[in-house]
Amino acid sequence: MTANFLIGRRLFGAGIAATGLVGSMTTSFAQAPKKGGTLVATWGGGEPQACYVPAGGGSSPTFSSSQLFERLASRNMNGDFEGELAESWKPAADFKSYTVKIRKGVKFHDGKDMGVDDVVYSINEIWKKYAAASALTDFAGVEAPDADTVVVKFTKPVPEFFFASLLCGTVNYIVPKHIYAGSDPVTNPANNAPIATGPYKFKEWVRGSHFEYVRNDAYWRNGFPYLDRLIIRYVRDPAGRAAAMEAGDIQIGVFNPVAPPDIKRLTATGKFVATDKGYEESVWATTMECNTRNPIFAKREVREAMFFAVDRNLIAKTVYYGYARPGTGPIFSPNKTFFTKDTFSTAFDPKKAAALLDAAGYPKKGKDPRFTVNLLAAGWFAENGKIGAIVKQGLEDVGVRVNLTVPDRPTSLKRIYTDYDFDIAISNQANPSEPVPSTTQYFTSDGIKKGIPFRNASGFHTDEVDGLVEKIKVETDPAKRKALVVEFQKIASKEAPNLPLVELQSITVASTKVQNHSNDPNYLAASWHDIWLS
Amino acid sequence: MASIASTGASARQRAALRLLGRRLVQAVPLLLGVVVINFCLIQLAPGSFLELMTAENQVSDPATVELLRKTYGLDDPIWMQLLKYIWALLHFDFGFSYRQNMPVIEAIGVHLPATLLLMVSSITLAMTVGVAAGVVASMKVRTFWDSLVSVAAMFFYAAPSFWLGIMLIVLFSVKLGWLPVGGMATIGGDGGMLDILHHLILPTLALGLFYAAIYTRVMRSSMLEVSQADFVRTARAKGLSRNKVTIAHVLRNALLPVVTILGVQMGTVLAGSVVIESVFSWPGIGSLLFDSVSSRNYPVVLGIMVLGSLVVIVANIAVDLIYMWLDPRIEIR
Repeated sequence: MTANFLIGRRLFGAGIAATGLVGSMTTSFAQAPKKGGTLVATWGGGEPQACYVPAGGGSSPTFSSSQLFERLASRNMNGDFEGELAESWKPAADFKSYTVKIRKGVKFHDGKDMGVDDVVYSINEIWKKYAAASALTDFAGVEAPDADTVVVKFTKPVPEFFFASLLCGTVNYIVPKHIYAGSDPVTNPANNAPIATGPYKFKEWVRGSHFEYVRNDAYWRNGFPYLDRLIIRYVRDPAGRAAAMEAGDIQIGVFNPVAPPDIKRLTATGKFVATDKGYEESVWATTMECNTRNPIFAKREVREAMFFAVDRNLIAKTVYYGYARPGTGPIFSPNKTFFTKDTFSTAFDPKKAAALLDAAGYPKKGKDPRFTVNLLAAGWFAENGKIGAIVKQGLEDVGVRVNLTVPDRPTSLKRIYTDYDFDIAISNQANPSEPVPSTTQYFTSDGIKKGIPFRNASGFHTDEVDGLVEKIKVETDPAKRKALVVEFQKIASKEAPNLPLVELQSITVASTKVQNHSNDPNYLAASWHDIWLS
Repeated sequence: MASIASTGASARQRAALRLLGRRLVQAVPLLLGVVVINFCLIQLAPGSFLELMTAENQVSDPATVELLRKTYGLDDPIWMQLLKYIWALLHFDFGFSYRQNMPVIEAIGVHLPATLLLMVSSITLAMTVGVAAGVVASMKVRTFWDSLVSVAAMFFYAAPSFWLGIMLIVLFSVKLGWLPVGGMATIGGDGGMLDILHHLILPTLALGLFYAAIYTRVMRSSMLEVSQADFVRTARAKGLSRNKVTIAHVLRNALLPVVTILGVQMGTVLAGSVVIESVFSWPGIGSLLFDSVSSRNYPVVLGIMVLGSLVVIVANIAVDLIYMWLDPRIEIR
């Protein structure tokens, strides 16, 4: 979900590709899990605005709430869906409703039973209004016919993959109705001291420092969690994180916690391992978005030329120290379900870019530029500014004058999504496997919402794509649906209003004492119930 | 004689009270100016917390955005927003922080003690080390000790505080393991005073040594200048020992420029804490300010500015009073 944009990814310049990922992660399978101990964890960003934010609120509150709250389902490393607070789910024959069996014997941290009322409340009041508002457009209601069952209804057929993805959506938690009912969920004080069903119970939040969670002895998964305490500590400075890890104060850091040289240095000691596992369901990309409201960029050849003019390998090697790969299409390559290589793609070819611009009616006349471009590199990640410089160089080499600006986060949001004050924007996306709506909304007319960030800012839309996405939304046959998504990728890649320049790899660094980590395709948002310390 | 002395003392007290009253009256337009200027500067910054709010919360309904705009008073004209803010301030209402989901004064109150502790300890270190080193350098002028002090002062003045902080962490925390890497207290510990002091050492050094370097340089030159004054020569001629002349006569007068700088620099110490708190994960107001600026959390930014101004004003009033104590001639002017 693009709500994850807030992550502090100053460390995307990770540079251990040359050395490969280092350390061994096989010890966890060789030893029996050990109970007890305190694990101190951190991540590559800052402290959240609240421990739990009903609408998501970005990666930081997702990280701080995922060990406390639980979802109805989760996805494992093989890509299979598994029940969590739901034991099973089954579609009706017309796929317009799903029957979900709720797990029995689950208690909230305050001792009250979790039941269908909590599920109904969560879907109606939290998912529909906040957490999954953009996905639940065809939602028709939810009811509980008996004490163990809820039925979720839709106005149109809903594919199983879509529904299962909804159940394990990053912040589609089951919240306690007795805590939230009758209040504004956004401002409920419980958001800062949550009561939920997860493996850990909230104990304390020392603002500016850390969260302290303790083992939930009444957790429904017998024998879990292994840890007595889990501390989530916030260290703003990456060098400070590296020092804290080296001094033994922090044992695990997710989502690029330290700078590339520190990854190499820490793992070289033999006391740490680094892995890129655990990010398969949250792949980040740096994108280039063309504003089709500008008549120049309304021409497909011009948009195509922009991508031919930029050396994406150079970006991957220099800006991300090799810890990225050129992107191909709107569905990112780690997406096992829907990604296809069979799309139109652009390689670095300035001559072809120049030819395309000539053909589009913008020939170079002596020293005069073909046209001038207002290039905006969104300043929420430092790397975007560096990429902006490479894009500027590439475009100027083919005769396009570039005015590059790198505004800070609020200014970038306003200029890209409210004012549409850009010709080309360097931005970022992090998308899950299900393409609707998180990926498709960048290409459809219903994604054009002025003032709403991380939607269709390019203004691109065609009846063909709109119709195709409508079909993807309701196609319940997995093979046919995949074919439709492949078709969508082909069109989007050829039209090129908004494509990834590079797909990014994220890294977890952990002490060798930390066992059984990075075993979830979105580990930042995992429950960590089975992590243990040797 | 006793009567004359007590009359002099009460005259000084009256003068001090007059000064205090004058400064407090001057503080009102000053604070108002701070509020107005900062409010306008923030308004000039493009983007607002509304964009961030809608981005973070994935708000997809334009009607909801409009509702939020109205809820937070952003649909009022700027001058109206300013008047409302000043009116609220007069009632000690600093506004509401949407991000922390609590009143601004509470959000600041959570972080302020940590910053004040860091500021006080750093200033204390800077004054102590700076004055002592400046005195030593001036008494041993053009000797090895003078050179050593000058080189050290230049080093700490030139070294960026964030770099110094990281180097201190590497040396004392990672390599030697003597001091904690960061934080204000041991997580899960008793949070006792000794534990906090243990955590305070490195951030205090990183922030305070820069100012100590400034005070050292100023103190040295001030000492050398005052030691050439006629009253010092007279004191020596009266047969007072060198140490007594230095401490009782030269030091007291040489302190005046250092005290002046101290008052001026209270604001920069507060600003410096933003960087140091980041390096040491010190849970102070610096990190809150950084987050608030980058999220356009105007109420918190303004609240911190107003409180920061108050700290500087109070510090400068204290400096004025110290001035009067150090140099009684000031009350006459």
